[in-house]
Amino acid sequence: MGRIKKKGTSGAAKNYITRTRAVKKLQISLPDFRRLCIFKGIYPREPRNKKKVSKGSTAATTFYYTKDIQYLLHEPLLNKFREHKAVAKKIGRALGRGEVGDAKRLEKTHIPKVKLDHIIKERYPTFIDALRDLDDALSMLFLFANLPSSEYVPAKTIALCQRLCLEFEHYVIASHALRKSFLSIKGIYYQATIQGQDILWLVPYRFVQRTGGDIDFRIMGTFVEFYTTLLGFVNFRLYASVGLVYPPKFDAKSDEQGGELGAFQIEGRRITQGDESSAEDIEPQAITSAEAQAEVEKIVALAASTEQEQQETLADAVRTEDSNNDSIDTFEPTAADADVLPQPEASSAEAAALFAPFTFYLSRETPRAPLEFILKAFGSKRVGWDGSLGDGAFTTDESNPAITHQIVDRPVVANGSLPEPYVPETDNGGATVTKAQWPRSTMPGRTYVQPQWVWDCVNQGKLLRPDLYAPGAELPPHLSPWVKAKKGEYDPTIPLEQQELEGEAEAFEDEEDEADDDEEMNEAEQLITNGKKNGLEAIIDREDSVEVGEGMDVGGSESDSDEADEDEVTSARDFEGFESDAESDVSDGELARRQHQRELEAEAAGESVEPVVKSQKVKNAEIRKKADKKRKDEAEEKERQKMMLSRRKRKLMKRIEYGEDKRDKEAEGLRKKRRKLEKAKTAADAA
Amino acid sequence: MAIITRKRKAATREVPVDNFSDEELADGLLEGILSHSEDESGESQNEDEEESIGSSDIEGLSDEDEEDIDSDEIPSDSEEAVRKQIRDLSTSDKPLKKKTSGLTHEQDLNGDAEANDHLDSDDDDRPNYTVTTDANGNTRYIYKEIDPVYDSDESDAPETTNTIGNIPLKYYDNYPHIGYDINGKKIMRPAKGEALDALLDSIDLPKGWTGLTDPATGKPLQLSEEELDVLRRVTRNEIHEDGYDPYPEMITYFSGKEEIMPLSAAPEPKRRFVPSKHEAKRVMKIVKAIREGRIQPYKEPTGDEEQEEEQQFSYDVWADETPRPEHSMHIAAPKLPPPGYDQSYHPPAEYLPDKAEIAAWEEEDEEDREREYLPRNHEALRKVPGYDRFVKERFERSLDLYLAPRVRRNKLNIDPESLLPKLPNPDELKPFPSTCAAIFRGQEGRVRSVSIDSRGIYVASGGDDGYARIWEILTGRQVWNVKLSDEDAVDSVSWRPGKDAAVLAAAAGETIYLIVPFTILTPDVEQAGRDLLDAGWGYAATKPQTSGAITKEPPAKWSRPGTKLENKGVLVQATVRSTIKVVNWHRRGDYFATVSPRGQSSSVAIHTVSKHLTQLPFRRLKGLAQSAQFHPSKPIFFVATRNTIRSYDLAKQELVKIIQPGAKWISSFDVHPGGDNLIVGTYDKRLLWHDLDLSNKPYKTLRYHQEAIRAVAYHQGGLPLFADASDDGSLQIFHGKVVGDLMENATIVPLKVLRGHQVKSRLGVMDVQWHPREPWCVSAGADGTLRLWN
Repeated sequence: MGRIKKKGTSGAAKNYITRTRAVKKLQISLPDFRRLCIFKGIYPREPRNKKKVSKGSTAATTFYYTKDIQYLLHEPLLNKFREHKAVAKKIGRALGRGEVGDAKRLEKTHIPKVKLDHIIKERYPTFIDALRDLDDALSMLFLFANLPSSEYVPAKTIALCQRLCLEFEHYVIASHALRKSFLSIKGIYYQATIQGQDILWLVPYRFVQRTGGDIDFRIMGTFVEFYTTLLGFVNFRLYASVGLVYPPKFDAKSDEQGGELGAFQIEGRRITQGDESSAEDIEPQAITSAEAQAEVEKIVALAASTEQEQQETLADAVRTEDSNNDSIDTFEPTAADADVLPQPEASSAEAAALFAPFTFYLSRETPRAPLEFILKAFGSKRVGWDGSLGDGAFTTDESNPAITHQIVDRPVVANGSLPEPYVPETDNGGATVTKAQWPRSTMPGRTYVQPQWVWDCVNQGKLLRPDLYAPGAELPPHLSPWVKAKKGEYDPTIPLEQQELEGEAEAFEDEEDEADDDEEMNEAEQLITNGKKNGLEAIIDREDSVEVGEGMDVGGSESDSDEADEDEVTSARDFEGFESDAESDVSDGELARRQHQRELEAEAAGESVEPVVKSQKVKNAEIRKKADKKRKDEAEEKERQKMMLSRRKRKLMKRIEYGEDKRDKEAEGLRKKRRKLEKAKTAADAA
Repeated sequence: MAIITRKRKAATREVPVDNFSDEELADGLLEGILSHSEDESGESQNEDEEESIGSSDIEGLSDEDEEDIDSDEIPSDSEEAVRKQIRDLSTSDKPLKKKTSGLTHEQDLNGDAEANDHLDSDDDDRPNYTVTTDANGNTRYIYKEIDPVYDSDESDAPETTNTIGNIPLKYYDNYPHIGYDINGKKIMRPAKGEALDALLDSIDLPKGWTGLTDPATGKPLQLSEEELDVLRRVTRNEIHEDGYDPYPEMITYFSGKEEIMPLSAAPEPKRRFVPSKHEAKRVMKIVKAIREGRIQPYKEPTGDEEQEEEQQFSYDVWADETPRPEHSMHIAAPKLPPPGYDQSYHPPAEYLPDKAEIAAWEEEDEEDREREYLPRNHEALRKVPGYDRFVKERFERSLDLYLAPRVRRNKLNIDPESLLPKLPNPDELKPFPSTCAAIFRGQEGRVRSVSIDSRGIYVASGGDDGYARIWEILTGRQVWNVKLSDEDAVDSVSWRPGKDAAVLAAAAGETIYLIVPFTILTPDVEQAGRDLLDAGWGYAATKPQTSGAITKEPPAKWSRPGTKLENKGVLVQATVRSTIKVVNWHRRGDYFATVSPRGQSSSVAIHTVSKHLTQLPFRRLKGLAQSAQFHPSKPIFFVATRNTIRSYDLAKQELVKIIQPGAKWISSFDVHPGGDNLIVGTYDKRLLWHDLDLSNKPYKTLRYHQEAIRAVAYHQGGLPLFADASDDGSLQIFHGKVVGDLMENATIVPLKVLRGHQVKSRLGVMDVQWHPREPWCVSAGADGTLRLWN
């Protein structure tokens, strides 16, 4: 006979450990434990059976995996923390004695420096692993790069974050890894694909961030400490992978003048300099002398014009070439029912070519940093901006003839209303050449667009019509490039008719007609405001009419509404499908019979049968009825099938259906809103 | 005071003026001073110093208060007085008037009465001793024993010395004395101030007079001007010596200054001349370390931290990367979902919330909100404001990363369609009853039981009114009836299977009636039925003789019901011990089983029609019998008790199987014509399908009724249908297909709910029976109607 096993000595009780016990086991303070957990990426677990783990109690407790904690026991950082504690004690003592010099010396020389290199290696055994985890790191560092320094956030950290972020941006530019970007209300999302990994990060708009309240910067600081190390090593590796020297040369002076990206000088590695492909990637060196710049501009203008010509003339040639190049051909299914296999999206070569032939000029009011980054990442080598936006522009001269596109984010003002700009007299005689300055005059041959054009072009991978994005024009909606409409979801990009359910539009029209009587429908806004209520009423109305008109079984609709409540009851009630089915059949038959009767009567009276002219409303009602009936039939069939499911599967089914219902409802709401808007628009157009 | 006295004495002694005799000076006063100073040298010295320094000239009168302050000296004073007294006694045996006067002169000067006292006492104490000679021939004073009475020591209360009484002293102003002492001697007037001054003036204090006695020499202590100055400085905490440097430069003696002469004469040891091997070893160690680069020369840490940080990322961490499979328990942090359309700064208009939605969003608690932002529209990029929750969201994300427990949840990536079972097309399931074709009215009270004859022409019913009725199935016309009982209801009716003869068994109360309904049947069928029933009479006539010996009461009495009933066609009646609830025929029609739940041991009875015989198969039945049925093809008999169904092999007379539907109270059950499946209806609203080959637990549990199920029935004529009747007033029709293949389970499909019966006093449909061939069924309702469904 084996020994009786004691409770809590094996299994889940051993596998999990509470946080308090973990802290005790590691013999460190709770903040140190937190730091350690953040550095090592250790997170609490949810045991499958809490009672088994915590000896019967079900109080809310944080559990860690025991093996994780055991693994922390061997962490070299743990010793560092202890050393730090000892030194902190000494410093405290010195300060208590008033020996400031001693404290300073201790702080300078004795405080152990925490290095996280080994943790990076440990947490991310391969580079790909590190890339996979870069989302949060980038978002956090970009946020910190935009924060003001405070007592919690030292200026040094911010400077480091800025440097790392800009270095990373440089890599993205050099490798043309940026794929998508999106202007949201939160900030600007960017997605880059680096070595096959999609990295999505969010950069805040440049405003002062609200940092009050319950934000603990010590926690954020710990994350930043880890992320800076991570991004530093990632940058090193990324730079090495495209043959660049890391760290790039940093020009502090340029940075002070707002150079940002321009403050870094990217250099190719000496060994690879002969290699053409890498040489191409290298940013053009900052040009300092004015003459050289003028020269370059000339060349560039020439190149641009020739390129354009070439593009025009060789358009068909290119097309034929296309078939022979290395890029993947797109396969398009010929029949609708076929499966669509996913194909890789735009390659870096395509990204590099998007804005390559253009020279951009950013007006003063545009956000320079994101535009510069995104334009350069998509191939534009020449981005100039107003001098007030900072250092490092290709040109600060708005009238530069090389500029092909100017990005403008200002309302249009009538030409005459503007005062003449003050033109300073120059020393070398006469009036200077009047500069072409938007909005007073436009340069011929130059495209003026709003910033959104850049983003929409990038997301669609092609140049869009700039007239839609002209200054002052009402912009088309800016859509997220990551949303792939699934079945049943609302998709704003395709017309309404393609996605609405059968009979939905007709139902909408009916209810609109009803609403028309008492409401002015011309104003879209008013529509929007009371749209919801109307919609609800309309739904109720519709149900009523169905019941009255068709003599639908009340029990059926009841069962629908009660559906969610109870399993047993529903199952008891659900099951009566055929009855209502049969009865509705009867009523349909009845209608036909009446029609026939009418015809007969007419015949008997010797009159010609008057074809029943169906009004719009009646037609709508018919379509709707048909759709309703079809839907109802389907639902009944489904209910019947559901009855035969096991309890477990039925619950699963219920969960799935909950999600689907929610999705459907959402989509329906959106469709309704859109329909209203469209109607209001057509009405306005007609007027 | 004593000290002062001493001082004075010392001083006076020093004074060359010779008021007193030399002997006087010699005899003991000085001694006393000496001894005294020895005793209390510390104190007195301090005092002396203080006095001498604090006030260089001495005021005798002022000393009064000093005495008061120095109260601790009082005992010593008195002690000294006693000693002095003794000494006086010992030294002067002769009355020294002169001395006394001298002393008084001096002591009165101090205003001290004590001295007088002593002197007086000297006089008094004269007879204190006797003078003898000692062994050496010297005089020896033998003192009297001192009687230690209260008054023996009179130091505390001074005696009155002046005896003049209470008269004003001015009376003596003209006299040189002021009164008389106790002995009648004049007390001379003490010296007045002028005299004292004169005296003091006469005394010329020498320079440096301190009034102290040098204890070493016994001479008066003279202090020079310098010494006094030093004292003064010391008292003022000053440096007592001019030009004294309290902090002189330290002169380092013993600092390696080589002495000329060695301390030891030993020769220098060799080790002083030989380099240390140990040191060489250690140096070599360091040299080696430096050579190997283990020790770097110390560099002043430069303030350039950036350089350091750049150094930080100066190598490739992933230089030798080896993929490591993730730990199975590791769950990577989920990425944040990409933004949707509604997060756009310029979303499609339909994504913008209307006023109601905005209000609802604002009203909601921040934690309950489905999304933490409201979609907003900005016409231009320049109008987009900062997002004020940015830092907070980032912070929350970091909290999630390290604080949130991660659980792997399986995403429901299942096509819901795949979950749904493949059901046969409803068209394939047809035919099944769906509408009420006929309603058979005419009964009073509930209809308890219904049965359709094997040819499918007649429906028999029995109800609370005690009638057994027969109806034509197609028309719903009542063709025959008979009142079987006045008080008991007809609980069960059942047609005998088989087309050759039509016999109806009806149970009312404890009696079963076997009926061949009169006039409605074709003559040959009727005759066959009569023959069948009559056959038993003969058997019964012969049988009783053989078993008559057994006195035991037979389980049932078979008899003729009487002419009135016989005319109607009720031919045989058999009475058992308790009320019969269920009658079921064997497939051959020779046996039928009855169940009377109250009957205990006689609850289940099997009757043989051909022999008019009743048998009780169970001596004792566990549980309350509910129903019993024969297997459709095998000699197996099923008995349902309250919560189990047992099957017995009648041939072998043994228990075959116990089926446990898991129900609380079985109401009825039916056996599938194939014999391998059972349906069980229960009062706890469940309908259970049992596959006997599969398990003794139900294969399917169907709960579609809201009230108890009263009856269940399989279609016996080859259609895969079954029905149940419930107290909620509905019948439910199911498709239940049993395939011969053992590998395939039965398919059960719910088909139809038939409503029509009214619920009366919480009873709905009491019984249901299928037509032997057609997909029709007849139900008996508590509302007194029968309904035919097709």
